[in-house]
Amino acid sequence: MNKMMTAFVFLLAGLAVAAQEVTLTVDAPESAAAGERFRIIYTVNSTDGQFTPPKFDPSFSVQGPQQSTSRNVQWINGDVKTISSTTLIYYVVAGTPGTYTIPAAQFETKKVTVSSQEKQIVITAGASSQASASQQQGQGQVRASGDAPSAGTDVSMKIILGDREVYAGEPVTGTLKLYTRINLSGIQELKFPDFKGFLKEDIETPPLRSLENEVIDGVQYGTGVIQRFVLYPQVSGDLRIEPAEMTVLVQERTGAKDPFFDDPFFDSFFSSVSTVPRKVTTQPLTIRVKPLPEPRPADFHGAVGSFTIESSISGTDARLNDAVTMTVTLKGTGNLSLAGEPVISFPQGIEKYDPKVTVKSTGTASGSKVFEYLLIPRNTGTFEIPPVSYSVFDPGQQKYVTLRAEGFTINVTGTPGEDQGAAPAYTPGEDVKYLGQDIRFIRNGNVRLSKISAPLVSGLYYWLWFALAFFVAAMVLLLRREQIRRNADIAGLRNRKAARNARSRLAKANDLLKSGKKEAVNTEVARALWGYLGDKLRIPQSEITRDKCYSALRDRKTEEEIITELDRILTATEYSQYAPVSEGESPDALCRRAATLIGKLDGVLD
Amino acid sequence: MLAGILSLAGQTPEEKYKQAGELYGSGDYSGAAAIYRKLWEEGYRSEDLLYNTGNAFFKSGDNASAILFYERAKLLAPADEDIDYNLQIARSRITDRFETVPQLFFVRWFDFLALLASTNIWAVAALAMFVASLLLALVFLTKSRARGRLLSFWLSLASLILAILMVSLAVRNNSLVNHNPRAVITCGIVTGRSAPGETGNELFEIHSGTTVTVEQELGSFSEVRLPDGNKGWIGSSCMEKI
Repeated sequence: MNKMMTAFVFLLAGLAVAAQEVTLTVDAPESAAAGERFRIIYTVNSTDGQFTPPKFDPSFSVQGPQQSTSRNVQWINGDVKTISSTTLIYYVVAGTPGTYTIPAAQFETKKVTVSSQEKQIVITAGASSQASASQQQGQGQVRASGDAPSAGTDVSMKIILGDREVYAGEPVTGTLKLYTRINLSGIQELKFPDFKGFLKEDIETPPLRSLENEVIDGVQYGTGVIQRFVLYPQVSGDLRIEPAEMTVLVQERTGAKDPFFDDPFFDSFFSSVSTVPRKVTTQPLTIRVKPLPEPRPADFHGAVGSFTIESSISGTDARLNDAVTMTVTLKGTGNLSLAGEPVISFPQGIEKYDPKVTVKSTGTASGSKVFEYLLIPRNTGTFEIPPVSYSVFDPGQQKYVTLRAEGFTINVTGTPGEDQGAAPAYTPGEDVKYLGQDIRFIRNGNVRLSKISAPLVSGLYYWLWFALAFFVAAMVLLLRREQIRRNADIAGLRNRKAARNARSRLAKANDLLKSGKKEAVNTEVARALWGYLGDKLRIPQSEITRDKCYSALRDRKTEEEIITELDRILTATEYSQYAPVSEGESPDALCRRAATLIGKLDGVLD
Repeated sequence: MLAGILSLAGQTPEEKYKQAGELYGSGDYSGAAAIYRKLWEEGYRSEDLLYNTGNAFFKSGDNASAILFYERAKLLAPADEDIDYNLQIARSRITDRFETVPQLFFVRWFDFLALLASTNIWAVAALAMFVASLLLALVFLTKSRARGRLLSFWLSLASLILAILMVSLAVRNNSLVNHNPRAVITCGIVTGRSAPGETGNELFEIHSGTTVTVEQELGSFSEVRLPDGNKGWIGSSCMEKI
């Protein structure tokens, strides 16, 4: 029974086969990019036979075939119709661009041998590496279809930039947009390139749910924005943006095409539809980034764009050690996130903490950046916070613009140590802060400018003065020596002769005494004594007085008795000179006493 | 600037000095430096003048000339603290750094002493001291009384020693102020060679502002000693003597 059934079916099949003509069709793209994988599909409406593949060009790398067979049995108006088909799919990658011919393939049944058509295929030079990398994930994207859009595909993706020539730091808006002519069931993975030389900031973009219709070059596309972003160029020069990659899920028919039911409705109705991942890439782009002009102002901190600045303070009357907040707000369009903090030279005595920075974005590269400075006054007094000066580069005006925000005056009151609670009771000593180094100022006082005089030491005259002084001194010395020597001779002579002279005078006095001239005796004794003293003591007769003699005698350690005796004799001689002879001492005795005294003095003074 | 100098003709040096000070105050440093330098070239000498000249050159960016004039000012006022301070700042802004070989302490002291007064003051004082010494010697040689003689002998000896010291200070001062062997490099960069001329082996490179000591001169070349003790020949036009 079973056998019979089988035989019957085969019979029917054989009838069916016999009833229809065997055809071998080929489906291949008319063009493909080099390095990109495309499919060549052979379909034969028979399951029974031998397929001979064509001789592919040796530069093609061929994988496959992937073979599938199908058999449909239909009863139509009582007729049984069997449709069977075999599909062979080759995956081909062409290495080099050019025009190639795919020769005919053959299918040989028991009865006939059919050949497919020859196919011309144009291999274009295309994006190679990405495409060959995409082989692992899905099929090639190229399906030639006549009036294709820009990229020649039915699914494509583009990065649209706001500007292609910008200044460094100037924000550039970018939009990643999808164009499709076929149904997509979803987006799988989106891979942005690493935007080398840029800082990229994503803008929140609603997820792509529905496509909008857009007609480009007369072709209708479904378009949708995948992602918006802002690029801030960090370096100058021609910066290249590498292609972005995305895998989309394409709904694709995989069922057979039947020559009899070549109708879109039935085609889609009967064919099985599968979701195929497909790789889509963008074209690489170049942005020209111009460097910011030099010189940059000192208060430029990287802000590029069109901004305004304002400042505010929490209060201008502050207590000692109570915090004050100063806020500087930078508002506008530009690279807010890269704008550095303004440099404010807060006065000494106010402690400053690093500012708290908040960025509020209100759209594409616009918004405000708030710098909050926490200030703690550590000294009392009035402090001047200078106006804030902040330079930005305005790409619109192509120059630096200096923004100014007002400064403040803070009045700090309070007593150090008072109502500070936990604050320490002592104030630690503080080192003097040195703010910079410079030379000291010039002297503008009154000066007496005089021309230099020739140095004395380099002239001969100077040294001659020394010689002259020496010569004069030597002369003086010699003369003085001579004088001293001469004086010494005279004095010595007198010294030696003093006693003899005195005795001869006394002898003369004795003679006078004998001859009765008593008045003259006294005078002669006095002469003898004064002469003796003058010669012995080296006192000139013109200068001699009693006192001089006595002190000179005392200097020479003469006994006081001798000086008293001398004094008496001298008094006696003077007295008797002016008084009558009878009243005074007898000249005779005086003569003898004088002779004795001279003898004693001679012993002392020698 | 040239017009400024010409208009100064007929002014007293003190007026010129004042005017340069005003220019300096208003920020025209190179104008002030030109007037100051002109006064110096005319032969006027004052520590304040030289100090101000150094300041004006420093402010106008010419560090080498600033150092040169500070060094000159230091010879007139060795104990002036402002000059030392500014010189140290000017030195900190030049390229070359040296491990300096310090002078012997007594040489330093002697030089300091020599610079405390000008050479002619030392010279006159030395002569006066010599005369005093001679007078005291005469007293010693002629007086006969013992006590005074001894005193005059020692005083005479002491003033003779002082006179000799003062003469040597005068000579030293003259050689430091008027024949100082040191010079400041004024060219941006100079190559020191092992022989005078352009043929000697290159030994070192020094930059403007460095102070060197001139050892000998031969034609348009000088053998200089660097602060670290090394020697080499450089062109004499690239330096200015202190």
